[in-house]
Amino acid sequence: MNDDLTRHTMEDIDPDLLDFLKNKVTSFVKWDFIRFFHENPHTTDTAENIARYAGRNVHTTRTELAELAASGVLTENRLGDMTVYALVNDPRIRELIGRFVEASNQRDFRVKAVYHIIRSMR
Amino acid sequence: MKRVNTGVPGLDEMLHGGLLPQTATLVEGAPGTGKTTLGMQFIYDGIATHGEAGIILTFEQFPSQYYHDAANFGWDFRRLEQEGKLRIIMTSPEVSMAYLEQAGGQIEQLTHQMGARRILVDSLSHFERLAADPVHLRQMIYGFINGLKREGLTAILTRENSALIGEAEGPDENIPFLVDTYILLRYVEMESSIRKALLVLKMRGSDHDKDIRQFSITPRGVEVQSRFEGQEGILSGSPHRMAASFIEAFVRR
Repeated sequence: MNDDLTRHTMEDIDPDLLDFLKNKVTSFVKWDFIRFFHENPHTTDTAENIARYAGRNVHTTRTELAELAASGVLTENRLGDMTVYALVNDPRIRELIGRFVEASNQRDFRVKAVYHIIRSMR
Repeated sequence: MKRVNTGVPGLDEMLHGGLLPQTATLVEGAPGTGKTTLGMQFIYDGIATHGEAGIILTFEQFPSQYYHDAANFGWDFRRLEQEGKLRIIMTSPEVSMAYLEQAGGQIEQLTHQMGARRILVDSLSHFERLAADPVHLRQMIYGFINGLKREGLTAILTRENSALIGEAEGPDENIPFLVDTYILLRYVEMESSIRKALLVLKMRGSDHDKDIRQFSITPRGVEVQSRFEGQEGILSGSPHRMAASFIEAFVRR
């Protein structure tokens, strides 16, 4: 029943965005960071500082940024004794992120995305 | 010697033509005095008047804040970024310092790719959280400033001063020794209103105007005006007329 509802709710979403949502945006914190890096595309920083900019808990930030790096949204590099994160340079991913952020400004898409994330977090 | 115009009317005259290339200028002042505006104006003037790309390194404000603030003066920073003439980077002192130390770091790449010649670092105050020891802090900032100069950049570095009026000691008073030019922005209480004063305290390798000048933030940015006539004690924040102080001195005798 729930699967049917999800399928029905998500089926009119752009397939690329749906794939991005399913595979990259698996939590609200990730959604936040994706938006953060979209708005600050030149930022390269540590998890501690990014947590401060975003007003998030450092421990959660560290985990979520590492997962975003593993999924190819961010890069994770060593800089001296620090681990720093930045948006990937891949124009295809950047374009997809731009489309995702733009779509998430629309209520209809946002409701569906929120529903999907809540469901995937269960 | 060629000068780097700041684009701030009145200030270039005080600096006898502008800043010296590949130097570091500290602009210090209380909140709201116009440090960031002056820095943005320097960056905008470089792009718009001299064709010199610029970088803004921000340790606190988001790029969107700069877009918004610059737009108030008619400077379209978002468009300049899209055109590759400006880059606003929100980062931290430790990361930017680490990049400057390594070959091929972010700032080095940008200076080569964009041909950037000017940088605004907003603000140097954020280095203070990296080291409690003033000697260590001084070494860090010294290395950072030298890294910017090595990349051929002429830098304006802002620093917050907590005192709204009157004298205030910063956490590290060594920093003015590390820079080439030191500009102080102050609030001055005068005739029941607050005015703003600008003073060039130091300019290594060049003579400069020693006047304490009034300045204001206009719809076109910072504009430095005339000197404070007939007033003394301006840096105390509460000046008094020279005649009164003369009488006071006379009566004391």
